[in-house]
Amino acid sequence: MITVTIDGKEIKLEKPVTVLEAARSAGIKIPTLCWHEQLERYGGCRLCLVEIEKMPRLQTACTFMVADGMVVRTETEQTANVRRGILEFLLINHPLDCPVCDKAGECELQNLVGKYGPAKGRYKEKKRKVPESLEDPIIVRNMERCIMCTRCVRMCEGVQGASAIDVISRGGHSHIEPFSGGKYDCEYCGNCISVCPVGAIMSRLHRHSFRPWQMENEIETICPYCGVGCTLIVQVRDDVIKRVVPRIGSVVNNGLLCTRGRFGYEFVGSKERLTTPLVRIAPKTQSGVGSQESTLSQPPFDKGGSQGGVISELFREATWEEAISLVAKKLSEIKEEYGNPAIAGIASPRCTNEDNYIFQKFMRVALGTNNIDSTARTGFAGAQSFIENIFGQGATANIISGLSNSDLVFVIGGDPTTVNPILGLQIRACSRNGGNILTIGNFKGLEYFSPQKLVPVLYTEDILLEGIVTVLKNKKRLSDANSKLEAKIKDISTSIEDVKNICKIEEKDFNEFLNILSESTNPSIVIGKETAQSNGASYKLLLLSAINYLINGRLYLLSDRANEQGLLDMGCAPDILPGYRPVSYVESKRRYESIWESELPGKTGLTIFEMVNAAKNGSLKAMYVMGENPVYNLPDSKTVEAALRNIEFLVVQDIFLTETGKLADVVLPALSWAEKDGTFTNMERRIQRLRKAVNGNGMEDWRIISEIARNMGKKFDYSNAEDIFNEICKASPLHKDLTYEDIEKGGGIYPYKGEPLRDGMEEIQVHNAERLSVNGKLYLRIERPLFHSGTLSRRAPALVKIYPEAVVRISPDTAKALSFKEGEVVRVSTKIGSIELPVVIDKALDNFSVMLTNNFEGKSAYRLMGYDIEPVTRASVLDGNTVAIEKAGL
Amino acid sequence: MLSKAAIKELNEIRQKYPDASAALLPALYIAQREFGYLGADAYEAVSDALGVPRAIARGVGTFYAMYKHKPMGRHIVQLCTNVSCMILGAEKLSDFLKNKYGLETGGTTPDKRFSLVIMECIGACGTAPAMLVDDDFYENLTEKYIEEILEKYK
Ligand code: SF4
Ligand code: SF4
Ligand code: SF4
Ligand code: FES
Ligand code: FES
Repeated sequence: MITVTIDGKEIKLEKPVTVLEAARSAGIKIPTLCWHEQLERYGGCRLCLVEIEKMPRLQTACTFMVADGMVVRTETEQTANVRRGILEFLLINHPLDCPVCDKAGECELQNLVGKYGPAKGRYKEKKRKVPESLEDPIIVRNMERCIMCTRCVRMCEGVQGASAIDVISRGGHSHIEPFSGGKYDCEYCGNCISVCPVGAIMSRLHRHSFRPWQMENEIETICPYCGVGCTLIVQVRDDVIKRVVPRIGSVVNNGLLCTRGRFGYEFVGSKERLTTPLVRIAPKTQSGVGSQESTLSQPPFDKGGSQGGVISELFREATWEEAISLVAKKLSEIKEEYGNPAIAGIASPRCTNEDNYIFQKFMRVALGTNNIDSTARTGFAGAQSFIENIFGQGATANIISGLSNSDLVFVIGGDPTTVNPILGLQIRACSRNGGNILTIGNFKGLEYFSPQKLVPVLYTEDILLEGIVTVLKNKKRLSDANSKLEAKIKDISTSIEDVKNICKIEEKDFNEFLNILSESTNPSIVIGKETAQSNGASYKLLLLSAINYLINGRLYLLSDRANEQGLLDMGCAPDILPGYRPVSYVESKRRYESIWESELPGKTGLTIFEMVNAAKNGSLKAMYVMGENPVYNLPDSKTVEAALRNIEFLVVQDIFLTETGKLADVVLPALSWAEKDGTFTNMERRIQRLRKAVNGNGMEDWRIISEIARNMGKKFDYSNAEDIFNEICKASPLHKDLTYEDIEKGGGIYPYKGEPLRDGMEEIQVHNAERLSVNGKLYLRIERPLFHSGTLSRRAPALVKIYPEAVVRISPDTAKALSFKEGEVVRVSTKIGSIELPVVIDKALDNFSVMLTNNFEGKSAYRLMGYDIEPVTRASVLDGNTVAIEKAGL
Repeated sequence: MLSKAAIKELNEIRQKYPDASAALLPALYIAQREFGYLGADAYEAVSDALGVPRAIARGVGTFYAMYKHKPMGRHIVQLCTNVSCMILGAEKLSDFLKNKYGLETGGTTPDKRFSLVIMECIGACGTAPAMLVDDDFYENLTEKYIEEILEKYK
């Protein structure tokens, strides 16, 4: 026990800490500038100098460790003089332009000068002049205001791990710059902005638009973008979101954000938002592809004005009453005429649990069908149920921050630093803490974190994984804890020769990789969507499960949508009821029948891909789409579009008139994430609260659906999201007895108070797909960039400025072989279509891969990609899309 | 792009240090030799070769005044004009360089043969005036002697 006295207060400490930490623990504030609680200590600014008895000189509290019996004084005449002196020096080159600085009011320098002075400087020389840099679209840099605390550099290097900025030059000429000296070209997390104590680096999104003290409201909510579920503080003035910042201490992201969370909010106020219900006036034509493209292609966000034209050509405005009774009437008629199976619904991984619960209840109770699915089917849903069938429910519900404490992270199938950026930071932290990063494939975001990589030839991952299992099962003893899996493991075997010859992996690298893997005591395995969408995905998932079992690891499934997990837990799938209970269990069906006071369909419904087929062949007559854009977010999107045109009655409920919305008979304007209450369930299966920050035109998704259900004579009486949540927690055995209050107190962690499904695991089935041979061909693959997520991000101007247009990525060898230069416009064609776009040469790519994102209107990867269905996981398989690239305009 | 030989040299240097960033200074010298000075290309080449982020390579490089930060002549003349050298006529010598060779302080001759850097004391006060040409040291300078010396550097 260490006892120190600071400002006369006796403080007892378990272990030695710095004087600053000791003081803070007792609520004593010592002024600081270079110190920041999220960063490594630096001791550069000297502002925290304090008097320590028996020490001849003042000491920096932020670096000096306490010792037993130490007596410290933090505010004396001497410390005040010293601080004033330091501040005078900091101001010699400072432009004193606080009246036009956005930081004024929350500037640490301004506050300190206010407290300690000096009121007047003695410096007579000319001040250093550095023009403000507006070369970057997002971050404005004003180096005259910089006090060289290096907080931004330490954040970027030591926490974010991007190392995009550094101190350039030295002495009085020092300044902070990104590599180019102008544009940042970095990860644009904005975490450097969070830690800058002054107005030297700031966001351009809200430049000169408010003063910090004019903020009217601060709402804590959850990010709408990915499955990490970061806490956001949304700052509001005049009912407009002015700024989004993180909060230090929040559970998932603890004071950090990624680019989407911090800069992606502007879609909320977009001029393109839908404001009234729309009813179709234009006939639904099955016209040629050309004209389809013309009606579907939308102006970019900044030309929002012309959107009005498209709307009035296709639709007329309607009142809510009219639209709701029209939808209720048409759906009832179709149900009457063609029966329940002719109706289907697509739920949304962007909507809340409450929205999704009401959606599936509506489909099941009011329309009598289990035809409910979502884009989670394209990868996440099947992968998760496969893994849970082996390890039990909740197998992937692992705490994200646990990654940084792992001694090893094994990554496959996607770059976590772009798909789930804040999770990616935990992997980088694991490496910094001395853990090993093993990757199957090249992931740029982990490049500086000493990954041990095995990069097999495209489409030969399964052999490599078999090789890993073969070695591991000889090194580790099988314990018989999971006999079903062990029986499968016993059959897995491949030779090192195959790994060498087919995957083209060096034996030495393979052995080294396996030594590290088998010696790990606390490993984690991170699986991305590319694995879930691959040929033979079920077999690869089995191999990964086997590896996980043999090394006794934890599994993480990357999720690129905010409520992908929640939507499944709410029962938005053709085969599961809320609480992730199988439709096929008589017991769970009965349970919901009695709670919902309605008979339920017993047959499992159609998957989203089966719905598309049913629409194509005419057996599906009506479809209700909530907050999803299947024409854009499903592969082979042109076929999806044609299929949806074929549907007699299509209802689309969304915040924008999406590609899918344009095909609808009725369009219903919903509220965005910032305009409603509710909950999201993140990839850890943590339930978190969304809170309304601003008002919007439109209704909550659950409210629209409830209105329609009531119009159809069903009892859907809810006055707010909490009512629905209470019903969920009464009905679902998994969410048993949970309340908003519990969640707010941190009770949203899986398995809550509920009962995860324990029994009823089925035989492990795998599909042994025929291996694709890549010889000499090029294959189209999906790039999943940090800056985009599709329908929302392309209406967020900041994200569009960072990543403005679709590009196609090829390897340097491919570029050479085809003699393409960087930036040259080329035509990319597959069996089902072709588009023209500029080339980017990417050193991280292999010579078989061509990468394209699915984020830009008219130039999306899904327009070019056909798919198969993986028979076990029922996900789309995107492997094997051969592609040709040639000069454009030929 | 670095030459194959330079990359080999870099890799050898890398082996002598515990981690990549520790090898930055010698690596930057190699890149400077290859590219003529430290600009974006040189930093990127070092960054790629060592696996150190490029912004960090540039941050380290720009800290040191003794790297070349802009294109320079084939040979660098570093003339001292500090107190001892100044008293013994260094300023005249600098005028001489300007008139005879067109070499301004910080400038480069039109034929890219020489660049001139003015130094603050190179530790030869006893034999001032003094200068360095590339890595070679010369003292007791006179105009005539400078002419002779520079003849050696093409
Ligand atoms: S925005 Fe993020 S990545 Fe970019 S410089 Fe700042 S901290 Fe680094
Ligand atoms: S830009 Fe801000 S955080 Fe970075 S060194 Fe300057 S004052 Fe510190
Ligand atoms: S990591 Fe995901 S949840 Fe977090 S801020 Fe980024 S997009 Fe949002
Ligand atoms: S805060 Fe202690 S030296 Fe800067
Ligand atoms: S003053 Fe020129 S060498 Fe010392």
